[in-house]
Amino acid sequence: MRLDRRSYAGTLLLLLLALALGWPPPPAMAQTLNAYSIWPENWARPMLQEFEKATGIKVNFVRFSSGEALARLIAEKGNPRVDVLFGGPVETFAAGIKEGIFQSYKPASFGALPARFKHADGQWVAIADDPLVFMSNTKFLTEHTLKPPASWEDLLHPAYKNMLQMADARTSGTAVTRIFSILEVNGRDEGKAFDYMKKKRRNVQLYTKSGGGGTLPVGLGQAGAGIFFIVDALDTKAKGYDVTISFPREGIGTSAEAIALLNGAKNPEAGKKLIDWAASPAMQSLYAKYKINFVPAHPEVPVEASLAEVLKGARIFPIDDGYAGANRKRLVERWINEVLNPKE
Amino acid sequence: MRGRRRAARDPALLAAVVVVWALLALFIVYPLGRLVVRTFTDGGHLTLGNVLAILGDPHHRQAFWNSLLLGALVGICGTALGFLFALTAARANLSRGWVTLLDAATLLPLVSPPFTTAIAMIFSFGPRGLITYGLLGLKGVTVYGLASTLFSETLTYFPIAYLTLKPILAGIDPNVEDMAQSLGASRWRVFRTVTLPLAVPGFANAFLLLFTASLADFATPLILAGNSFPVLPTQAYLQITGLFDLGGGAVLSFLLLVPALAVYLLQRYWVSRRSYVTVTGKVGAQTTVKTVAPWLRWPLLGGCLAVAVAILYFYALLFYASIVVALGANHAWTWRHYQVIFTDGLKAIGDTLIIAGVGMPLGGCYAILLGYLVARKAFPGRHLMEMVSMLNYALPGTIVGIAYLVAFNDPPLALTGGALIIVACYVFRYSPTGIRATVALLQQIDPSIEEASAGLGARSATTFRRITVPLIVPAFFAALGVVFIRSMTAISATIFLVSIGWTLITVRILENMTELALGPAAAFSVLVVVVVFAVIALISLGLRRWRVPGAADFSSIFGG
Repeated sequence: MRLDRRSYAGTLLLLLLALALGWPPPPAMAQTLNAYSIWPENWARPMLQEFEKATGIKVNFVRFSSGEALARLIAEKGNPRVDVLFGGPVETFAAGIKEGIFQSYKPASFGALPARFKHADGQWVAIADDPLVFMSNTKFLTEHTLKPPASWEDLLHPAYKNMLQMADARTSGTAVTRIFSILEVNGRDEGKAFDYMKKKRRNVQLYTKSGGGGTLPVGLGQAGAGIFFIVDALDTKAKGYDVTISFPREGIGTSAEAIALLNGAKNPEAGKKLIDWAASPAMQSLYAKYKINFVPAHPEVPVEASLAEVLKGARIFPIDDGYAGANRKRLVERWINEVLNPKE
Repeated sequence: MRGRRRAARDPALLAAVVVVWALLALFIVYPLGRLVVRTFTDGGHLTLGNVLAILGDPHHRQAFWNSLLLGALVGICGTALGFLFALTAARANLSRGWVTLLDAATLLPLVSPPFTTAIAMIFSFGPRGLITYGLLGLKGVTVYGLASTLFSETLTYFPIAYLTLKPILAGIDPNVEDMAQSLGASRWRVFRTVTLPLAVPGFANAFLLLFTASLADFATPLILAGNSFPVLPTQAYLQITGLFDLGGGAVLSFLLLVPALAVYLLQRYWVSRRSYVTVTGKVGAQTTVKTVAPWLRWPLLGGCLAVAVAILYFYALLFYASIVVALGANHAWTWRHYQVIFTDGLKAIGDTLIIAGVGMPLGGCYAILLGYLVARKAFPGRHLMEMVSMLNYALPGTIVGIAYLVAFNDPPLALTGGALIIVACYVFRYSPTGIRATVALLQQIDPSIEEASAGLGARSATTFRRITVPLIVPAFFAALGVVFIRSMTAISATIFLVSIGWTLITVRILENMTELALGPAAAFSVLVVVVVFAVIALISLGLRRWRVPGAADFSSIFGG
């Protein structure tokens, strides 16, 4: 065996060349903006492309789930890599405020937004609203001669045994919104609410990591039903899966989707422009065009007709910000101990 | 003492040791140290509160035992399956075509992101699964739990055992077995008393690698373990990304270090007690391999083919998902998903290829250098060096990723946001396979060959280059292959290291899955499989030009 020294040297040179070309990332141009998006790429991309078209500011973004995005922002606190956190349930932002990762900014439409769609100091503002729904597999319902669940109690029916999928409260904002919904319909009586959740636990096949994690199993019939955000449920339906969407008559919660400027942002002016744009009708009136089934947060933007049809007659209430913020950690811990890992 | 004097006399050795230690300190010890500081301090004060809080929770303790159980089972099942394949491929006198087929089938799980089998499992088993319901008509089957996690992890990781055991079985000189047979021993007795003991270092390596791979795997249990079978890596991941509790997550994963180190020490003790040299400078007469009786050849092959068919089924399902509109709802043909990944996903593809291409040769060189130093050279702290080099592999990727993020975010070592940090993460996390391969191979090669070179006046660098390197070429390619494959397929650590500037295919796959975009996820996975196969074929072609006896065939690229 001959080892050719020159060919090794050549390989090394090529490598060095590759390194020189590949790193470091190209220097930022005058009008660029970096963002982490919690919204899925297929929704964030058209929105941010429209922003580029409108302002000429180039947006680089990566998508992370809310937990991952927050963990990164906390770790990068001393030297933030992005300017804006785009989309994601509001309690992710509440957790971020505790870590001091955001800076206040009140966009032009701040005054027009209802109180629950903005942080009092402008640490975040809402860009959309996202109610929870019950979503069931239509074939599963007919096979068990069930009506679409129309009450929280319906989910305790023995036909659903081991057939429900919903999100894990440790990772998912969807799950936290669900738990606070159950508390609200039980008049914030924690004993009653947890009794209900413990009973429902018997029917739960899996608590999923992400809020939409159970939509595909329900669509495929691997699970019978679940509780999801309306965007995920309608997206499942649009993909062609035969699912039925219903609402409990006792009512169900909704969570705002937010945007925020990061502390130490390197392009704060561009970041503020994006927040201005996203919090205004300029962006929110585009949801319908791109078939994004969020409810607009800005009061001047009408709800798209087919989405309004789904929501018709549904009893939807907002989750009280102050109450949720004050009790979130304790209730999630109680949920882990009593519902997720019951002591038999 | 003797070691230190020898090191001082040999400047090349000294330089190599210093360089390796510097790398280990920077990319393994320093980030973990920063993480430990973060774990055991609270607002600048030293505290045990974080640890005690975690250990006091019976649920976390349960997760700890579950992880051990799963790791041990995956280690045993995977090693057994790997041995079946290795025996069939290396000692059953099969034609080249069959061996290539087995190699190809075992490559599939290695060359795709680990959670892709898990997703295929979800489709196949469960209340409406293609197999449990569609084929067998079973009802009320649950897919979540120990059994399916074990099945999926075994199928995913057994190729590591196969690749570890095959060169060792192939390296056993048939003359040794011949001698035993000519002394009157039966085939079974020869197998039991000669072949099997010679494969012991391989078993130990394979078990260790699978055990640690399972201990560190968070993606498979995340999808398949369900809520009744929590394991530590998943708990640690959820603790960090869900509860934003970096300290708690760090404690949970440091618990994993205890079993990982215990298995490692056990393996060292076991292997070091015996001598396994069968390749010496003296070449015996050529003889054919007679380990396996001719009649046994076909049952062995049949067993392997059954496993291969199961693997192929999973990947066929994945491919199918990539060419239909929506699996389970709309089975019309479409190329749309491929269009999506080659437009929106193009950056991820380019970035991943650059990172994998750069990391591959670096990982190969690092692995054989370190493996060689540890196996052949006497210098102070070499056992410590080997242990430190294994750390990033034994720890769950989540922790390594977070540790890198914490350590390299601020000047003077602000590496986050670049490609270097991802490359470094892959090199130091996935080279241990190559290191172990180098060590295991060197244990089979008589040091007298190298001593002869030294005796003839060659310096240690020359001996290493002219004698040792050619002998351990298979291990070099094992390191190369594994680093490249993992750069294309791993996710747990690097999900924290991707940035605006650099992103990875695997991260896009996981994102696509959570976004319900199963089609693009499947298309990306298919692309990964195709790319890795193509690169392997290229390396294989190149390797043939430097033909080494027993080392130049397709499979040896990962062998060792």
